[in-house]
Amino acid sequence: MSCEVIEKERAGVINPIFTCQPAGAQFASIGIKDCIGIVHGGQGCVMFVRLLFSQHFKESFELASTSLHEDGAVFGALNRVEEAVDVLLMRYPDVKVVPIISTCSTEVIGDDIDGVVRKLNNGLLKEKYAGREVHLIPIHTPSFVGSMVTGYDVAVRDIVTHFAKKGEPNGKLNLITGWVNPGDVKALKHLVKEMDIDATVLFEIENFDAPLMPSGNTVAHGDTTIEDLEGTANAVGTIALNRYEGAKAAKYLESEFEVPAIIGPTPIGIRNTDTFLKNLSQMTGKPIPESLVRERGIAMDALTDLVHMFFADKKVAIYGNPDLVVGLAEFCLDLEMKPMLLLLGDDNVGYAKDERILALKNNVNYNMEIVTNADLWDLENRIKNEGLELDLILGHSKGRFISIDYNIPMVRVSFPVYDRAGYYRHPVVGYEGAIWLAEQMANTLFDDMERKKTKEWVLNMW
Amino acid sequence: MPYHLFKCSECIPEREKHAVIKGPGEDLTSALPLGYLNTIPGSISERGCAYCGAKHVIGTPMKDVIHISHGPVGCTYDTWQTKRYISDNDNFQLKYTFATDMKEKHIVFGAEAILRKNIREAFEAFPNIKRMTIYQTCASALIGDDIDAVANEYMEEHPDVDIFVCNSPGFRGPSQSGGHHTINIAWMNQKVGTVEPEITSDYVINYVGEYNIQGDQEVMQDYFKRMGIQILSTFTGNGSYDGLRAMHRAHLNVLECARSAEYICNELRARYNIPRLDIDGFGFEPLGNSLRKVGMFFGIEDRAQEIIDTETARWRPELDWYAARLKGKKVCLWPGGSKLWHWAHVIHEEMGVEVVSVYTKFGHQGDMEKGISRCEEGALAIDDPNELEGLEAMEMLQPDVIFTGKRPGEVAKKIRVPYLNAHAYHNGPWKGFEGWVRFARDIYDAIYSPVHQLSKLDISKDEIPGNAGFVTKQMLSDADLSDEIRNDPNLREYTGKYSIIEDLQAKTYPEFPRSCHEVAV
Amino acid sequence: MASVATTDIVAYMENYIMKNCLWQFHSRAWDRLRQNEKIIGITSQLLCGEEVDLSTPEQKCYWIDSVILAENYKKNVPALADMSVEEIKDVMTQLKDRIDYLTVNGSLNLELTDKHY
Repeated sequence: MSCEVIEKERAGVINPIFTCQPAGAQFASIGIKDCIGIVHGGQGCVMFVRLLFSQHFKESFELASTSLHEDGAVFGALNRVEEAVDVLLMRYPDVKVVPIISTCSTEVIGDDIDGVVRKLNNGLLKEKYAGREVHLIPIHTPSFVGSMVTGYDVAVRDIVTHFAKKGEPNGKLNLITGWVNPGDVKALKHLVKEMDIDATVLFEIENFDAPLMPSGNTVAHGDTTIEDLEGTANAVGTIALNRYEGAKAAKYLESEFEVPAIIGPTPIGIRNTDTFLKNLSQMTGKPIPESLVRERGIAMDALTDLVHMFFADKKVAIYGNPDLVVGLAEFCLDLEMKPMLLLLGDDNVGYAKDERILALKNNVNYNMEIVTNADLWDLENRIKNEGLELDLILGHSKGRFISIDYNIPMVRVSFPVYDRAGYYRHPVVGYEGAIWLAEQMANTLFDDMERKKTKEWVLNMW
Repeated sequence: MPYHLFKCSECIPEREKHAVIKGPGEDLTSALPLGYLNTIPGSISERGCAYCGAKHVIGTPMKDVIHISHGPVGCTYDTWQTKRYISDNDNFQLKYTFATDMKEKHIVFGAEAILRKNIREAFEAFPNIKRMTIYQTCASALIGDDIDAVANEYMEEHPDVDIFVCNSPGFRGPSQSGGHHTINIAWMNQKVGTVEPEITSDYVINYVGEYNIQGDQEVMQDYFKRMGIQILSTFTGNGSYDGLRAMHRAHLNVLECARSAEYICNELRARYNIPRLDIDGFGFEPLGNSLRKVGMFFGIEDRAQEIIDTETARWRPELDWYAARLKGKKVCLWPGGSKLWHWAHVIHEEMGVEVVSVYTKFGHQGDMEKGISRCEEGALAIDDPNELEGLEAMEMLQPDVIFTGKRPGEVAKKIRVPYLNAHAYHNGPWKGFEGWVRFARDIYDAIYSPVHQLSKLDISKDEIPGNAGFVTKQMLSDADLSDEIRNDPNLREYTGKYSIIEDLQAKTYPEFPRSCHEVAV
Repeated sequence: MASVATTDIVAYMENYIMKNCLWQFHSRAWDRLRQNEKIIGITSQLLCGEEVDLSTPEQKCYWIDSVILAENYKKNVPALADMSVEEIKDVMTQLKDRIDYLTVNGSLNLELTDKHY
């Protein structure tokens, strides 16, 4: 009985876990203030990603396309990048940051986006937009490499690389959150504030939860400023919470500007949040305050109500962004649950060497599988044809039919979550996130007990 | 001058010819927006790509098919579960999507080998499905993989399966529309005529350009079945692959969405002499006339009339209840390609609303001709709108509600304009007599939402009423109604169920006698 | 005086077609000319009480659209009842010319002359 790490056997994908790289780069773009990314490729590469974001956040985000058409595919389409930049800058006078994001089509045809950015910097920007601050950032994210996760990682690195500028030490901490929700950013900011630390949060997306105001239009947008990005070079340190979503940028700041970097852990669950606070304390010299002891205590109280009564030995399958999956698995083990199957949805070679995954492999004493390059058929097939029994699924909304058709309760996590209301508003990180996750899992299991009439009377007296 | 240049587009003056305000006394020859031209890069247009038009809109509604995209995973992921085209095959087409997952090495060395593997793996995972469609993407098009050759080889080795190849990469054409065209012609050339169907009725139609959004096709199918008409195939909502291979045996093509499917109707007319009848499935009168026309074609118009009479008696009082309360409300009709003209006139006639604007994301000039003909004077018609133009138009027109896509609906929400999803509907289906009432009810619920009313109050500046704990929709909608209308005992709110498709799927239909010889049509 | 009334009648008929019908908007000029000729032609026959050729599916398909038109015109243009066959045919010819103008000859739709579907 042990935990095995295997790669999906099939060559193809049935029901993918992730979409492709450009989506990740686009997600990074929308976190920046006065930024509109231009995706160089077919219109679908932008239209569908904007739709995906709008499904998850119930908001619309601004992203543009160079609208590659047939002639561009044959003869090259760099002229469309130039035109797109010009049209965008003319019509959106507040835009300062314009990532130029490549796609599979424009990488295959060999369009040199770095070259065209140089040309624009020396030409159009100097001639037509002299005196206007504009940052064009080429980001290479073809879809035939990696996934939306790696695309995000690459984009964060390229954006930080572009802006980070040596100056006076600013006493701040860079906090690279990874692919999280506004609720997570709010929880992280709260923890950091309780520690009396001044942090630059990348990316500041708390306002993705944008209001409906009586006057004026409030399109949702991110709040990370150019100043924030420039200042990353002068911080006391960087913590990148997600190894696969932001570590590249942290390592760059360390090697280029000697800003010490700590990579991980994703602060999911009590243990990892404790470690996060320890890292914060170590990096800044600030002590962990009594208020956080109390907050942790509230979480401990909430968890204790649930663990050995309801969570013990419950079998869970988990899929979604990799750091999230690992963090959730670790939390579930602390909660006495049994993660049976972890699905990592792309072919990142780092997974095999990831010491968190190796720790699972070495210490789990029941049959558990971790599948890399996985898709959702890996989950469904095991349930349908190989006798896998589960009490709970943790994953994003694209897997909803597995929960529905096989009658397995599911708590939505990761991205995208569009078939439940308001999840982006809640954290999965920190002590607050531990409470939210545990209570969501509990209530979902309770609802299932009632629907299936399995010891539903137990809850009469809880 | 009826051409309209948005302020936000003054720097891209070529946009002027893409918008027209229908002026008094003007007709289509005075001004018509340009259409189906290349998109202006960086304009933040609403358009999607040709892969979407082929695979997502037309291909994937086919319910008994493995739909596999040959390319990296994103195209398939993005077009999976993002439309509400249901089926009576347990929604197989919504639940499962397939991609060959092309990687960098395949771009360099070609991907035909993994395509072959993928075809085998997909059929093995779903041994009850014997039909497949393979969609080319930008990547597989650019590296020149010969998908047809791989598919043909597999079919030779496995005679029990059939595979359709659709070569419509995202960059083919200015928008989704290029993809519609490609798949129409490809299906016609490759598959029509390759199966001889079982004929079960004297009256046989193809129902074309209908995608079973929330059950629209099943609503219409019910009417046709009540008339004893055999729907040989639906192109492609709730449609079956082999049914569609037999399209050549229909007596009549009944066409709804001409934008996406007139191509195959034209080809079927040219090659098989099957006439093309364009209909509107929306609205009591257009739908009634459409059913009568189909009935007349087969000499069974009495059966159509019976349905019209029954349905009208059942649902007219409810439609009129909403119409009384929607009169004069302003709507922006902002769909993708054809609903602007399906709805523009009848929604004014039967629900009393004022259509202040129509637009088309990917339509052609023909769609604009239809839309502008059908809308009222003063309406603003926009081709290939972009986000700033949409905002400017909404500020200018101050509509009470807009019918558009999910994401632009979020933009409207922010400026306090309620939206209804024109592509996937809110509480559909919206076709049919009952469906049209459901649409009216959705419009009513959107406009008269007490929450919507509350969103306009600025608590820091405005007077807070403070004298009521709640307001009902009817208090809002009936405030200025005459007592006579308000208390009309013949009118009532919608009395149907939340979901109406289950009952339709459970229905049985009478047997109609067959004539003993081939009906001479 | 008679010509003013005729203009009003043609205007009513044109408006009904443009607001309610789709048969005049096929995608190519030659299709539109044929549709207009056949459907308005058969409508004219119906209004004049003439026998219509229903021998092929194609003819039937024109006829069904014509029936709807004729029905509406009879109901909403009472003057038709008092017109002679010649007068009706004259009105219908004007109507056809007008629809041809709107949908083909004067149309700004650049795709009408495209050779392929």
